[in-house]
Amino acid sequence: MNFTEKARKHIDSCRFCWMCRHICPIGNATGQERNNARARALCLSLVMRGAEKPEAVAENVYECALCSACVKECATGWDPVYFILEARKELATEGKLPSYIEKMLDNYEKSGCVYSAAEENVSLTEAKKRHSIKTDTLFLLSHAAIYRDCADTVKSIELLEKTGIKFTVAENEPSSGADIRFLIGDTGETQEAARNCAKLLNEYKTVIFLNPDDAEIVVREYKEWGTEVNAKLVTFTSFIAANLDKLKVKNKGVAIAPQDPFALGRELNETEPLRKIAAAAGKVTEMLNNRKDTFIAGSAIMAEYMPEVMKAVALRRFGDAAAAGAEVMLTCSPSEHAVVKDVAFDGVKALSVAELLLE
Amino acid sequence: MEFNEFLFTNVLCELEDAVGRENCSVREADKITHSVDYFWLSRMWADRGKHMPEADVVVCPLNAEETSKVLKIANYYKIPVTTWGGGGGTQGGAIPVAGGIVVDTKRMDKIYEINTQSMYIECGAGAIYKHVEWAANEKGYATMHYPSSLNCSTVGGFLAHRGIGVVSTKYGKIDDMVLQMEIVLPNGDIITTSPAPKHAAGPDLNQIFIGSEGTLGIITKAQMRIYEQPEVRYFRGFLFRDMTSAFRAGKEILQKFKPSVMRLYDEAETGSLIKKIVGVEKKGAFMNVAVEGVKEITDVELKILLETFRKYGAEDLGAEYGEKWWKEKITFFYPGHMMDLPEMFGTMDTIAPYDKIEKIYREMKKAIETNFPMARFIAHFSHWYEWGCMIYDRFIVDDVPKDPKEAMRLHNAIWNCGVRTALKNGGVVNDHHGVGIKLGRLMKEQYGPAMQVFTGLKKQLDPNGIMNPFKLGL
Ligand code: SF4
Ligand code: SF4
Repeated sequence: MNFTEKARKHIDSCRFCWMCRHICPIGNATGQERNNARARALCLSLVMRGAEKPEAVAENVYECALCSACVKECATGWDPVYFILEARKELATEGKLPSYIEKMLDNYEKSGCVYSAAEENVSLTEAKKRHSIKTDTLFLLSHAAIYRDCADTVKSIELLEKTGIKFTVAENEPSSGADIRFLIGDTGETQEAARNCAKLLNEYKTVIFLNPDDAEIVVREYKEWGTEVNAKLVTFTSFIAANLDKLKVKNKGVAIAPQDPFALGRELNETEPLRKIAAAAGKVTEMLNNRKDTFIAGSAIMAEYMPEVMKAVALRRFGDAAAAGAEVMLTCSPSEHAVVKDVAFDGVKALSVAELLLE
Repeated sequence: MEFNEFLFTNVLCELEDAVGRENCSVREADKITHSVDYFWLSRMWADRGKHMPEADVVVCPLNAEETSKVLKIANYYKIPVTTWGGGGGTQGGAIPVAGGIVVDTKRMDKIYEINTQSMYIECGAGAIYKHVEWAANEKGYATMHYPSSLNCSTVGGFLAHRGIGVVSTKYGKIDDMVLQMEIVLPNGDIITTSPAPKHAAGPDLNQIFIGSEGTLGIITKAQMRIYEQPEVRYFRGFLFRDMTSAFRAGKEILQKFKPSVMRLYDEAETGSLIKKIVGVEKKGAFMNVAVEGVKEITDVELKILLETFRKYGAEDLGAEYGEKWWKEKITFFYPGHMMDLPEMFGTMDTIAPYDKIEKIYREMKKAIETNFPMARFIAHFSHWYEWGCMIYDRFIVDDVPKDPKEAMRLHNAIWNCGVRTALKNGGVVNDHHGVGIKLGRLMKEQYGPAMQVFTGLKKQLDPNGIMNPFKLGL
């Protein structure tokens, strides 16, 4: 693996350090020693030194959610996400990817979407048809939402309709690049996906992102890659929070724990709209680790190749919500909702923004 | 015994049957990550691109029952078993030097009960202490166990190595914080220690297993004390002209009441780490003290502290440095702040009564600096009792031999010299990091014939010698 000097430095800093072990959502869920930043760095440091083969540690490289909890926790500024992305890129370049990642890349090559059996749900196609005419506003759904959380995506479209805004949903939505970046890091393919998506976004005055992962990559990474987007960028959550008056929400007094997706809580620092929505429908109760300290509750893309671990991640987050006295865990990420919707937890139910407000 | 492929696979199937296939791993990533702990030698070995001794299989049981099954299998086939919690130990205690099975306890992380009537949390021994602290905090309480490894180490790891946190002077060491434990003995029997930690029902079972480093059994559950959050916590930084007056002042204050934090830094550490992280520029020995609890009582304690320390010529530096230190207390240990490879370093913490401690410090400093002129020596004194205190003394070598075996030789020679000097002057092998493989050879030198008590226990409980071989000098 040909790591850059920067990645080498970060790997060698993290390889013997456990100071962020406690906040790794994957390590917490599995209890496995290999699931923390130090473990991944230690394995990669041996690969760097020629003492281990890349393929022996490849799976471990893909057990990271890239959630940046460790990056935030690090008092001396080391960045495991940086070297994990680079490791994924190197594994792809060297053709040493785990087979399940290869399969997702094959899907992407064939259909432009990493998810297998990427056939769209009929009711979603119907809902999309209602918004096929070009307007000033694009509602970008994301592939995770379309192919792994379609029922809720239909509800999100319905909720947006209730605000009275005129909007368009693309018939064949391209990937923002977030999913392909997750799989192979910052490569030419990822940047090409970004450029392709930017073309669509630039046809609109405003873009509303249903998936915070898309918002994050467009706001943060596109700039880095020199891909300009001129449209006004808004998350679905903040748009709904700003239009609550049009939705006639009834407050049922239920205790709601907002589940900040890391892309909003840590990367874009947008945490209050979700709380405004929760406060409109019930009473907000905070989980111990919230906002920038949030834990992920799941990841649609990881559920493709480690569903049991994602279930455990979700259960752990339900546990946090229960400990905070919540009856509802409110999610605003289709990637998380795709996982939590299928996990049952006594006393706490997971609702998306659309489910909560349309209930 | 050599295990051929057939027999190994057969044993593996038995282990999978005991804990579930997904909790039994022969993956390279699992072996690597369980082979390097925080011991300098293991890190150096990996840094030089060498594999440390690895387990043949890593097993993650969910509870005492599954642990018991694993130990029964291991005993039958006489396979070494090394217990791994967080792997944050500095003494090589968790390294599977003899291969075999590593039992990782982190799936045993359940918080079973937060008992506010009797003020304890019952949890699995694999719970990360920070998570136990969070559970206590959510109910308005605290564990008061705040070592630098709080984020990474487990309840069982702290117990097995007799850990300590920064507010120990008031709240005690980990061995003062435990009420009851569940332990799986090497033969697979599951036992619980006495229902109350103070009693006259014979010797204290808790204290037999605390510090036993996985050589006598595996701790699977524990009841750990919780405390009320203090109404106030006041910090005060002081600068002493010399160490002697600082020791006297410290000893006198301990006869009156117990501060929570007491940390005295020698001139060398004051001028290096403390200057860098806390910003104290002046020369002398810096001491950081915190008093805490109910406001009315704490106000009086602070007054007594100031009066007492004034008598010994301490300059009062106010609250600022202490508060900064508290904020940064863990930052010290992040890569980039902490000493790190390629430097060689080690913490030779020891403890002794007040009439010996200053001499131990001076003799250890002299012995290291004279015998190893390439080594720097810094120290602080951070856990104080009515009768004595501990030294956290460290050596640092910048120019380390390139050959890893030579580096190991130098490392071990410095340790032998430092610890033997401590022993000769009335200290112990270690204060709060444990023994592991690093200091096992020196245990007999401290205990002499008393060592037979430990070896007798070992022979009785673990006749096949499978539990964490070559650790603790057993
Ligand atoms: S990110 Fe920071 S805290 Fe985490 S392992 Fe790396 S150096 Fe340690
Ligand atoms: S990015 Fe998230 S999942 Fe990956 S090591 Fe850091 S905390 Fe763990």
